[in-house]
This record gives sequence, C-alpha cells and structure tokens, in this order.
Amino acid sequence: MSYIKNLFDFLSAPTISFTLLTVAFPFIFPPSDWFDKKNKQWGIYKLWTNKGAFWIFMSITFFFVIGYFDPYFNLTMTKPDNIPIILMIYSMIFVVWLGMKQAYINDARLDRGEKPEEWNDPDDKVLVWPDLVYIELIALILFMVLLIVWSILIGAPLEEPANPAATPNPSKAPWYFLGLQEMLVYFDPWIAGIIFPIFIIVGMMAIPYMDINKKGEGYYSFKERRVGFFIFMYGWFVLWVFLIVVGTFFRGPNWNFFGPFEWWDPHKVVPLSNVNLSEYVWVKLLNKGLPTSILAREAVGFVTVIGYLFVMPLLLAKTKLKSLFEHYGPVRYSTLMLFGLTMFALPIKMYLRWLFNLKYIIAIPEWFFNI
Amino acid sequence: MVSIIWMFIDDNDDDFKVYQRKFRQLEIENEEKKLIAELEAVKDERVGYEEKLTGAQTSFKAKQSQLLDAESLLVESQAKFYKANMNFLNQKSILDAEKFNYETAMLHLHEGDDPAEIEQTYQVVIDKVYTLRLIKEEKEAVMLAIEDQIKEIKFETKIAEDELNSVLKAANLVDRKLKLIDRRKMSLANKIGDIVRDLPILDFMAPYFKVEQVVLPNIKYNVNFASVPEVDRCKSCHLGIDNPDYKNAEQPFTTHPNLDLYLTSSSKHTYEDFGCTSCHAGRGRGTDFTSVTHTPSSPEQRAEWEEKYGWHEMHHWLKPMLPVNYTEASCFKCHQDEANITHADKLTMGLTLIEKNGCNGCHTIKPLESRRKAGPDLARINEKVDRKWVAKWIKDPKSFRHNTRMPSFFGQSNNSEPDDIKRNDTEIYTIAEYLFQDGEKMSRKNDRKYLGNAEKGQEIFDVVGCRGCHIIEPDPNNLPEDHNLTNLLKEHGPNLINLGSKTSAQWVYDWLKDPNEYWHDTRMPNLRLSDEEAKNLTAYLMSFTNPEFEEAESIQMSDEALDKIALGWLRKMYPEMEAKSRLGKMDLDNKIDYVADKSIRYYGCFGCHNIPGYEKDKPIGTELTFEGSKPINKLDFGYIHDLEKTNYAWFTQKLENPRIFDKGKASPPEDKLRMPNFNFSPEEIEALVTTILSFSEDEVGENLLASNYVRDDMVYEGRKLIKEYNCQGCHIIDGFGGQIAENYSSPEYAPPNLNTEGAKVQPDWLFNFFLEPSIIRPNLQVRMPTFKLTDEEWNAIIRSFQYYDNQPLAFESDFHVNTSTTKYRAGKKLEELGACNNCHFYGKEFPKQGAQTWAPNLALTKERLQPKWVIDWMEDPQSIMPGTKMPAPFLPDKELLNTPGAVSDWGEHVVKVGGDRETMLEGLRDYIYSIKGKTDITNEIQQYFEKNGYEFEFDEEDEDEDW
Repeated sequence: MSYIKNLFDFLSAPTISFTLLTVAFPFIFPPSDWFDKKNKQWGIYKLWTNKGAFWIFMSITFFFVIGYFDPYFNLTMTKPDNIPIILMIYSMIFVVWLGMKQAYINDARLDRGEKPEEWNDPDDKVLVWPDLVYIELIALILFMVLLIVWSILIGAPLEEPANPAATPNPSKAPWYFLGLQEMLVYFDPWIAGIIFPIFIIVGMMAIPYMDINKKGEGYYSFKERRVGFFIFMYGWFVLWVFLIVVGTFFRGPNWNFFGPFEWWDPHKVVPLSNVNLSEYVWVKLLNKGLPTSILAREAVGFVTVIGYLFVMPLLLAKTKLKSLFEHYGPVRYSTLMLFGLTMFALPIKMYLRWLFNLKYIIAIPEWFFNI
Repeated sequence: MVSIIWMFIDDNDDDFKVYQRKFRQLEIENEEKKLIAELEAVKDERVGYEEKLTGAQTSFKAKQSQLLDAESLLVESQAKFYKANMNFLNQKSILDAEKFNYETAMLHLHEGDDPAEIEQTYQVVIDKVYTLRLIKEEKEAVMLAIEDQIKEIKFETKIAEDELNSVLKAANLVDRKLKLIDRRKMSLANKIGDIVRDLPILDFMAPYFKVEQVVLPNIKYNVNFASVPEVDRCKSCHLGIDNPDYKNAEQPFTTHPNLDLYLTSSSKHTYEDFGCTSCHAGRGRGTDFTSVTHTPSSPEQRAEWEEKYGWHEMHHWLKPMLPVNYTEASCFKCHQDEANITHADKLTMGLTLIEKNGCNGCHTIKPLESRRKAGPDLARINEKVDRKWVAKWIKDPKSFRHNTRMPSFFGQSNNSEPDDIKRNDTEIYTIAEYLFQDGEKMSRKNDRKYLGNAEKGQEIFDVVGCRGCHIIEPDPNNLPEDHNLTNLLKEHGPNLINLGSKTSAQWVYDWLKDPNEYWHDTRMPNLRLSDEEAKNLTAYLMSFTNPEFEEAESIQMSDEALDKIALGWLRKMYPEMEAKSRLGKMDLDNKIDYVADKSIRYYGCFGCHNIPGYEKDKPIGTELTFEGSKPINKLDFGYIHDLEKTNYAWFTQKLENPRIFDKGKASPPEDKLRMPNFNFSPEEIEALVTTILSFSEDEVGENLLASNYVRDDMVYEGRKLIKEYNCQGCHIIDGFGGQIAENYSSPEYAPPNLNTEGAKVQPDWLFNFFLEPSIIRPNLQVRMPTFKLTDEEWNAIIRSFQYYDNQPLAFESDFHVNTSTTKYRAGKKLEELGACNNCHFYGKEFPKQGAQTWAPNLALTKERLQPKWVIDWMEDPQSIMPGTKMPAPFLPDKELLNTPGAVSDWGEHVVKVGGDRETMLEGLRDYIYSIKGKTDITNEIQQYFEKNGYEFEFDEEDEDEDW
C-alpha cells in the first residue's frame, strides 16, 4: 500500500502530473489525424463507453477510498471546504464522459452517412409549459433538499475572526479561485489577478465569434470541431479545474507542494532561488553587471514577449497557419492568437519556472511591471 | 456633446475652485515674501559657506580623471560581486532545503539507510556554500574598497554642500513649497503635470484644486433614523483659516482669530476632531456661499450678501450657521457641567442669568436643572412683611426696588386694559390672602430695641463683607452700565434699599444674626456679628425707605371679577351648567381660595418661591432642553410680521417683550401669554439667546465632552457651589472675581486671592476652617462668613480646589522637621535676619510692627499649609498673590557667601549651605514649621481691635519695608 501511496505522491508532483496530463491530453481528445489514429490504436476511445465510465469511476473512487483511510489525506479530503471539489471531480468527469459518449455515437452515425441522434428525436424536445417548468421545479426542490441536508450534516467551514496578525498557513482563496491563486505562483498579481481573469471572460464571450463552424450545432459531436474542442478542454480542464484540484489538495503550508499522502510539514523547505531573464543574459551569460538603464536591461525580455505575442502570429500566418489565416481573416485571426497565446503562456511560464528557475521574463519592479 | 461640455465648464467654475485659484496666487505672493525674508536673514552668513563650496568644487574637478577611473572599476567590481552573490544565494537556498531533507531523513531513518551517507550528502552542500561565500566576500571587499575611494574624492564637496544647506534650511523649505505651487518655478515636466492634473475627467486622480474636507466621526448629524458623521468642507474656500500668515487677508482666506484655542494641532480643539460646523453650525458639506447656509449678522450684511453673492436663505436646512454673535452657543455641547466656561463669557453670562432669574424654575432644561429656587422662601412671609406690601409688590415689584430680579407679571402689553387690571388686582389680592393664611405677624412695635447707630452700621456694611454680594443703590442711574459677569457678582443678593418700608427692624436683626433660622436653605451666610454690630447694621439698612411705594393705593378685590375668574376656570373643567352650579355653591372664602390656587398655578409662582402646598408642582413653562434645535415653524410668531423668521430673532423679541406674540389675538384671559417681563438689558438678552441656542439636540462623541477629562464629579460640583454661594464676590478664583476689593484702600485689606488654594492648604485644615472660620489675616476687617453647607458640599469645594492645582490626595502624612540639620539651622538664622516677626504673629506673640502690616500666624503654618507650597510661596509671593505685601526673603548667593566676614554676617550654617536657594528655602520652611504657639488667635486679635479700632487703615502706607 505504501508503495502505491508513494507512487501517487510522486506522480502528483505538479511537474509530473501536469506534464503527464499535457502529454496525454491530445491522445484523449485528439486534435489531428495522427493522434486520432493512436487513440484508436490504443483504444482510448473506450473511455467513452459505459464500461469506460465504470473504470473511471472505480479508479477515482479507489483513490479517494485509499485517501479516506490515509491519516494525512483524510484531513484534507474531509474538510468541509474541500467536499465540493470532490463532487466537482465526479461531476466534471461525468459530464465530459456523457458528452463524449454522445459525441462518439453521433460521430459514428455521421461516418455512416446517417443524421445525428438528435435530428428527429421527439424525446429531446419538451414543451416549456408545463413539462420543462415541472422538471425545473422538481430539480429545484431536490437541489434545495440537497443543500439543506448538506448544511445540516456538514457545518459551514467558519473559522475564527480574521486577524491580520495571525494569518492561517496556508492562506487559501475560496475553492473557485484556487486556479487563480495557483497562477499567482508563476505570474505577477496584475497578470494573474487582472489580465488573465479578464481575458478568460472576454475570451469565452469571443468564442462564438471566432469559431464560426456551422457543423455540430444542436447535437453532440467531437470530430467536427476537434481542434477547438481540444483547445477548450485543455484550457478548461488542465489550466483551470486541474489547478483548482492542485490548489485544494496538494498545496500545504508556505504554499509548498505536498503529495496527497504526505504529511503537511510546516518546516518543509524548497529551494526558491528564481532568476530573472535579464540576470541570465547579463550576469550569467555575458559576465557583466546589469545595465543601469531599465530598457537596456530588459531588452531581451521585451523582444521575447513581443516576439511571442505579436511577431510569431505574423510569421505563422505566412507559413504554418496560412490556411487558417486565410480562412479567419486578419481580425478574427489576431484575436484568436492573442487569446490563445495568452492562454498557452501559462503552461509555458510554468515549465520555464520548473526547468530554469525563471522568475520574470521582463522584470521592472521599479514600475511594478513584471511579466 | 454640448451638454457634456457645459457640464465640464460648470464643474470647473465651482465657487470653491475660483477661490482656490485666487488663494494660490495669494499663497505664492506670501511665500515669495517669506523667501526673500529668509534669504535676507542668512545673507551674510551664507557667503562664507558658498566660498568654501566653490573651493571644494575646484579641488574636486582636479580629481576628475581619478574619479572616472574609480567609477569604471566600481562598475566592473559590482558586476563581479553581483554574480558571486547570486551564486551564493542560489546555493544557500539549496542548502536550506537540504537541511530539511537531512533533518527529516535523520529523524525517520528507514531500514538500509546509512546515516553517514546522509551526513556526507549534506556536508557536500555545506562545503559548496562555504566556497561560494568566500568568493562572494572577496568580491564584496574589492567593491567596498572602491566605493570608499570614491566617497573620499567627493567628501570635501559633500561637507561643504551640507553646511551650506543647513544655513539655507528655512529658505530651502520655502523654496520647495514655492516650487510646488508656483508654475513659473516648475520644471517643464512638473508644469505639464500641474496642468494635466486639473483637466476635466483626469482630475479624479490627484487634482490640485479639490474639495478639502474633514470627516468628524465624533460629531453626528441627526437625520432622523440615523446619525451621520459631520463632514466639513469649509476649508475648500477658507484656505488660510489655520495659517497665521493670512491675518490680514480678505475673506474667505482670513486666519481664524483664535488659533491658540482652535484648529491648530496644539490647540485644545483641533481641526481633525472638531472641524468647523461643530461650533459654527451650518451645512458643512456645502461648497458654495449659499449652500453652506452662511447667516448674516445684521440686516445690512444680509442686503450686502444678497447683492454680492446672490445669497438667499436655505429654508430646508434646519441648522443654519450661527450668526457670529451667537457662536458661543456651541461651547455648551461639550462643556455642559462647568460652572463658568472659560473664553465663553457670553454663554456663561446667559447660564448665570438663567440660574439667577429662575428661568429653569418654570422651564425644564435638562442639562441645566435648577439647583435652587431663585426667589426667597415664602413659608414665613407673614413674619417679614405685611399683606398690603405683598400685594403692591406683586403688582409692580420695580416700583419698590428698581432693579429687583422679581419679574413684572402685570401692566404688560397684553393685560393693561381696565378689565384686565380689575381682574389682575383680584388675582393678586387672592394670592396675598393665600400667603397670609395665618395672619400678619410682622410688627414694628419693638423696633427701637433693635436699632443701633446707623453710621457705624454703614461702616460695617462697607467692610465686613456684605458688599461681596449686595449693593445699596437707591438711584437706578448709578447702577453699573456694563452688564457683565463681574457686575453680576455684586448683585448676587438683592439691592438692599427700602427695607424701612418693607419689614421690621426685629426681622432684619434676627435675619442678620442667623439667616438659616428664618429660611433654612438660604445662601445668606452668617457673619458672626456681635449684637451691637447687628443693631448698627440693622439701623443702617432700615434707614432706607420708599415713601412713594408706601403711599400707593393698596390693591383691592372686586367681587364681580372674582366670580368671573372663578367661573372662567370652572368652565375649563366642567360643562357650563355644572360650572355655574359649582360657583353658586361657593362662599366668598371658597372663591378666594379657589382663585388664589388657580392664579398661583397659572403664574407659576412656585417656580421661584417655596410656597407651602405647591412643593411638588411641575414647572409651568415650555421645556427648553432642545429649544435651540426647535424647528422655526414650531415658534408662534402670531401676527408679528416684521420680525426676521429666525429662532434667535424670535427669542430676542420674546425676552424683550414676553407678551408681544399675543398682539392682535383675541385670546381669553386664561390662554394669554404669561411669561413675566424681566426687563433684561440688550446685552443680557443677547447672552440669554446665545444660551437658549446652546440647548440643542446635536450629538457629540463621548471623548469630546470636556467633563470626561475631569475624573471626579465632585470637581464640577465644587465649582458650581462656588458660583452658587458667590465665593467669587469676595475671592479671586480661577482668575475671576474678588470685586469686593473695590471697597478697600488696597487689595491687601480685601479677602485673599485663592490662586493655588488647592496646593496651598491642607484639606483637613480647610474643612475645619469652613465649619468654623477663625482669623487668619489679622488686619482684615472683612470676615469669612459661616456658610451652612453639608459635608458633601464642603468636600466638593475642597476637591475642586485640589483638582485644579493638581493636588490629588485627601490624606497626607504629617510633615516632620529635623531640627538638627544644617539646613534647619541655616533657616533659623535666615528667619532671624529676615525678621519675620515684624509682621507675622508667632502664636500669641504680637508682631513688632503696627497693625497695618500684620500677617498670618506662623504657628498655624504646620496645621494649615502644604510644605511644598510654602517653598513656592517664599520663592515668589507676587506670582501667587499679586499685590501681596509679603516680600520674598533675601537669600545670599554663593558669591556673597565667599566674601570675608560672611560667617559673621550670615552665620556658619548659612555659609555651609553655600548659596543653594532651594536648601535655604527648605531650611526656612522647616524652621517655620517648628514654631510653637497658639494656633487660633481670633480672640487676641479681636480684643486688640476692640481696644484700638481699625483706624490704621486710613494711614498713608509705608512701602519701604526692607529686610
């Protein structure tokens, strides 16, 4: 058992788990033919069958059962704050599974030249009054019952009055903001706390204007927008839900990372000697002091950021993504690139931190401007 | 678009912004003047320092190349250090983590783990860090050495610069301020910034022209269901209000006239705590002339404002600004319990008048509840005067005593018709009947027995202390013109004229001998007059008569009016038929009793007088507790239309003529206004209106109340008693009072100044002295009277003296003198040389000099005075009791004691003390405390004066008294 636990602890380290997820993701939601082939070859699509659901359910439950009997993980798991996260894991996976199952059935029908299941499905259409309203009323009552019972069984996680002189360690945001808090490890507050949330909201609002694919409207389907599906699922599942799970279960005292079955030792020390890009270039590489001029000092950073966000899309539009550019037109293309690249900036920065201890690409604390 | 632009223009031209621009100009001019003055002040001084700086700069320039070399070396070494330090820190953080790993590994050793191996891994990291540290420190040393070198090159210049700057400090400060406000002095970037910060929209960030406001959490504005903190924006226009530089600037920039007491952080009423509207009232949130509810002080000012500022009244703001002459009203919010409110003479005057005239006898005023009835006790009136006199007096008291406090109820504007007079006379008659139920007991039959020598009586009246509270002034034209607090002290008791037409000599004699016998609660003290003195004084007082009053027709009752009055009151309670039948059943006596009772209740006589049978009746007047906050529409202006519609105008008019608002009204007699006329002077009315305005609903935070800074309730109570018993009629207390001194040739012969009294005397001695006064100052004719106060009251008075002189202790150990010390012996010698016994009594031993210089008995000192105070007193008697004849003892200084022959002049002990003033004073004090003898020498002194009289008082004073 301890071997399994150690394995879990090892696997759940963010470097590993994040990498595993990132690598596995295109195989689970294949964005291209090659991945699709591998998906079929290794039978991953079987996840989206009832049997697959059973195994997913069993393995997650297995994990939580072990966790429940583990003295350390039990503490984290059974905290009233964290119970919604467990429910979220189940419900998110269930909903994705359900959607994917329907999508694969429809994809198969479309392959056979048939119409999707929803095409002529009388069961799928109900009258608003009284049928839908009835269903909603019953759902509402049931949901209220659930909330009432929940509040009776598990008291609200109230703590002592806030005291600025004695903050809890770790200090955690409400569960739905733990993804943001996790981002704060890698970015300055103005990016992780302001720019990213704004981009997430605006970006999601912009999706219908960027993805103008008419196919797949009104029915489940994967194949007909697999790239969009992949990007969205990666952003949603890995960069948001997964980060919430990490923030909830794996972040302990001093915001240090702990495996699920590890003791939250407040004395744990992890070397944190992060280095700015400018220091890498001027000090380590060129053996010089940092230039006094801020702009000269951060020139490499500026070039990198501007190159990544603005120059690279231009080049891509001429080369690799020429067809996309032609298809989307300049406005839609640049919007997509802006939001997309910003999103992918998060995993990039995470890896840069893990691999090179990189603190900031542009570091101008004098102006409170750090990227 | 047009409307938006219009909005910006309108916003930009807010009143306060216009004023702020003007003030900025004014400020620049002012600061420029200051700068010139500051530069002028250091003109000569700076030249030397500037030369020094130029010299330093020249030699600095010579080393320029050296500096450049060093600086380039520095950059290089800094780079090296930076990298070394980075490597070091990096490795150190790894070490920290490794330390944790090492500790946990060693703590939980697993099977197969080799401790030595774990240790080894850890040690490797430690070594690495050590190596890196050495490298880092080496680079650091190089860098620091170069830095020192550069510092040295610059050193001379820097010193010279610093020196010059310290000379120019004041000027630099002004210059810096100028650079902030004067655009001409700004750098280009700042100039642009200064323009941009006030541009439309952008000015939300950090504008120069902005509303200056202060939030006052402790001063609440009541908006019915919530109390909101006041917010004062007055400073948005009154920009120079707390800056003494703008005393002569025009409004609204003028400096506040009393910065010592208000606004500044060193004053007791800081701007941050009190703001402006807590005193001035008005709408603190307003930012233009009209909306802040400025209130004109006069009709002329009103007209001027209307023209100049388009001013108009803000009808919907309930608390407009107070006109300047009533501003003191606000002091009362926080200073409620004080007997006299310092710096608020007008308010104090009003509060005093309310007490003295018994306003709060008829009008309940919660914060100023009546401490005693303002008029005399009428329970035994029949022993003092006769019925006829009483009736005439009630009808027109002023005709008997021109300045009496008894107000006039009759002959006023709403009751002077013949019918009214008939009715009133009947009412007066019945009231007199009621007061004389037991018949007349005053008789002048035995008067001869009680009449002594009037001339001697006058002398006694003038010196023994009567004038502390009373005057005798038959002629109204000789009264003091000023109606102020000092003159009120003189008229604490009645103007004692015309007693011969009022009462009997026997009554006056008895009263003088023991006032409390006739009226238990009287404030009149007992002066312990001998029988002869009392007779003489009686003769003097009885010599004043008022024949006119005596001859006036006595008041008659009319049966017809009696019936009418009785029926009128009966109708108020019963249906017409029953009223009439009840009247029919009454006989004459019943009717008189009934009308007397109704009249006493109607006029509220018991508000000021104790009348048997009416002890528990409620006051009849409107409650005035929140009168100052009463909405204007609740004040009945009646048909008086030419009166300004403000509460203070109404109050003023009411006090001038209390019945005026009945004008033109056809009220039945029972519903007429009945507030009597006190014949207040305009100054008194202004003081009273100020005080009425002070009775407001405004809430003030607990921590602003002055009473919360006085820990002991007895302190204020003591001060109130001092006021109630008019102690300041004779003594100076808190720097106020002592007007009786006017009657003596020199303050020396008047009652003592009680400055520092709390620190001066021992509390238990003072208590006993109050109970049984003895003679302290042998040459005073004026006597400390015996007051009939309770122990609680005396304690309060003593406590309040102690409090204001920082003397917290009630019980203290005795002061013991060691008579074997050098100090004591030096003191003895000084006493001998100083010849204290020229003036002072030593027990029964009389002073060597004549009675005119006699001073207190030194044998009493150990019982009476505080040892510490005696030192302060001898050090500088004039500062404690200005005008005293006590000289400060001459004490030899060190130099004098070093001259040859000092030992024979001053004695060995004084020489030994070596000129230390404090030790010498302590020795002298110790000696005084060891003087033995009788402490109470009242009898000895009295005997002396009985034999020799007080003639000395008129002698030319001998001022040259040397030690």
